Amino acid sequence: MIEFKGVTKRYGAKTAVDAVTFAVRPGRVTGFLGPNGAGKSTSLRVLLGLDHATSGEALIAGKRYRDLTFPLRTVGALLDGAGPVPDRRGADHLAWIARSNRIPRSRVGEVLEAVGLTDAARQRTGRYSLGMRQRLGIATALLGDPEVLILDEPVNGLDPDGIRWIRSFLRGYAGRGRTVLLSSHLMTEMADTADDVVVIANGRIVADGALADITEGHPSLEDAFFALTGAASKQVWS
Amino acid sequence: MSVLTAAIGAELSKIKSSRIVRLVTGVVLGLHLLIGAANLGDTTTAVRNIGADGLIEIFAGERVLAGEALVDLLIASSLQIVVMFLPVVAAVIAGQEFLQGQLAQSVLSVPRRGILVTAKAVALVLYIGVVAVLVEAISSAYLYASVQDWNPGLVYAAGTLAEQARLLALAVLVSLVSFAITTLARSTLIGVVVSVLLMALTMTQVLARTVPSVDALLPVSAGRNLVLDAADADLSSGPVRAAVVLVAWAVVSTLVAGVVLSRRDAR
Ligand SMILES: Nc1ncnc2c1ncn2[C@@H]1O[C@H](COP(=O)(O)OP(=O)(O)OP(=O)(O)O)[C@@H](O)[C@H]1O
Ligand SMILES: [Mg+2]
Repeated sequence: MIEFKGVTKRYGAKTAVDAVTFAVRPGRVTGFLGPNGAGKSTSLRVLLGLDHATSGEALIAGKRYRDLTFPLRTVGALLDGAGPVPDRRGADHLAWIARSNRIPRSRVGEVLEAVGLTDAARQRTGRYSLGMRQRLGIATALLGDPEVLILDEPVNGLDPDGIRWIRSFLRGYAGRGRTVLLSSHLMTEMADTADDVVVIANGRIVADGALADITEGHPSLEDAFFALTGAASKQVWS
Repeated sequence: MSVLTAAIGAELSKIKSSRIVRLVTGVVLGLHLLIGAANLGDTTTAVRNIGADGLIEIFAGERVLAGEALVDLLIASSLQIVVMFLPVVAAVIAGQEFLQGQLAQSVLSVPRRGILVTAKAVALVLYIGVVAVLVEAISSAYLYASVQDWNPGLVYAAGTLAEQARLLALAVLVSLVSFAITTLARSTLIGVVVSVLLMALTMTQVLARTVPSVDALLPVSAGRNLVLDAADADLSSGPVRAAVVLVAWAVVSTLVAGVVLSRRDAR
């Protein structure tokens, strides 16, 4: 269970996220949707204790992220601003992370296998392609076999095979009663993956509910998205 | 506690699995080996020519007590490497955190930033400590090669080991200062530049000649005051004051780095 309670984040004069409040339930895939610059990454960074909220709080299982002991065993996260150092080997990158949370070393091989990076384990991550880096990020999130998965734009850089794999993987993950929150600025990919959606535009939540309810009265999720975020999207695209 | 020990282990893994850190460490040790080898002949000749009066001529025209002079030489040979290069190694280690969002991953893994910075400082002390011991061991091996026919016990005499211990403390403390500055500046380059400037201020003796009381407050000068002998070098303070200054620099700069890292967003 993830709860945002009135989270506001300002960077100087810029309000990136404004009184964001919503909850994410276990056993479902929740899509966090919004156009570029809407405040998705910022919300997730606050949730994960990377950025300090200007006001409000975000909790996971009733606790702030930083109050979790060995947090990677409860929460797995993929963020675009949290990559591996290029001169380290992929397996070594996972190894130090595992060690920091007393996760058995054997998990490193398991998650590499799960994301299809076994052959690249001994390569330095500076040599990885965009998609391989993304896979390594997903492997990192899975390392602690967490109850809660938080993925910021997980399909970025993935090929069609990778996209199909992550979709069915996430559906299976939520199917086992776990919590999955994933952000995206692409509607089409959410239509087949998410049970619930939370839509953010200009730092504010504009819709929150079951996918079916949000799309009701619109020909597609994409139409619903443009209707909900219209003003914000025009700013970006016009 | 187990959170802290796990974090220290992870920081050590990071240091050991970084190619650039290994490379820089290897270069520093290699350089020290080369300089030692280059001086070995001269020192051995000087030892062979120690007179019945027990005086040695290491620098032309200066005849001094052999035992003391050789230990001074031993410390001086390690000192230059320790002061010039270990802070650079520390800056490279600390600067890794600001590449490619490594810091965000570190904070995800260890969200309590006080624990994170403590773990980093401890891991740095351990790693730099090992490198410094290797530097000292190399210096000792060369000295041993020079004095084996005269007085091999000199290398592991209690007085010699005490000086080595002080040098080890110095190595760790100046490296911590460099680590903290790099963390504050979020850049290896700035960490290296500031370390080199601090060293240059001390080595050129600009302040020591003009305002010695200010010079005594600089970290590298304090290190020099701590390990060198007042009889052979111009020092700007006694050893106790020097130890206090050096420890204060390491502790205060690390604390400030910790506080700043805690307050800033992790990027
Ligand atoms: N460190 C920062 N300093 C200043 N402004 C920032 C900072 N980080 C984000 N912002 C601003 O906050 C707003 C929200 O950014 P955020 O990255 O959260 O958007 P997003 O929804 O993740 O967008 P995208 O789909 O492009 O990833 C943007 O206007 C951005 O310019
Ligand atoms: Mg984003």
